[in-house]
Amino acid sequence: MMQPEQVQKIIADGLPCEHLQVDGDGHHFEATIVSAEFAGRNRIQRQQRVNAVLRAYFDSGELHALSMKTHSPEEWMASRG
Amino acid sequence: MDVQQLIKEQVGNNPVALYMKGTPQFPQCGFSATAVQILKACGVPEFFSVNVLENPEIRNGIKDFANWPTIPQLYVRGEFVGGSDIMREMYQDGELQKLLAGIAEKV
Repeated sequence: MMQPEQVQKIIADGLPCEHLQVDGDGHHFEATIVSAEFAGRNRIQRQQRVNAVLRAYFDSGELHALSMKTHSPEEWMASRG
Repeated sequence: MDVQQLIKEQVGNNPVALYMKGTPQFPQCGFSATAVQILKACGVPEFFSVNVLENPEIRNGIKDFANWPTIPQLYVRGEFVGGSDIMREMYQDGELQKLLAGIAEKV
């Protein structure tokens, strides 16, 4: 069973993030990810970028489900007013 | 038939195709249940679906088909739309209703 901290570290190691928060119960995880790499990419491309980092864990079945909210730094600033 | 070819035909021949765990009547995963509810809320109560729990070849093949590691997966008019997160965001923004507008009227 994976811990949220573990998932967070894998994402952080594979994707430069301005902000990253991962919560979860060991089976289902939720991540809020802010990365400059997301600018100019659509939702699918953003999640594919994150999924690529986590591919081995999805393939092995260790990681079952990860909900993501993906933002570019500009969107993140705007959403926080 | 090759599983990639089979999936290609399924998404090509059906205006809305949902690959999910369980069935629309009895989803067996919270994310798949969410996907079904969102489609219903968009005026699409009936659609083509595949229960990947009963089709292990498709369960593996669909992940490569869209380079997407999780289920559910929604396809509209042959195009990959996303999983349940993206469906929820698009629904909240009104985008999914627009995408499904022509299809919803026919059902």
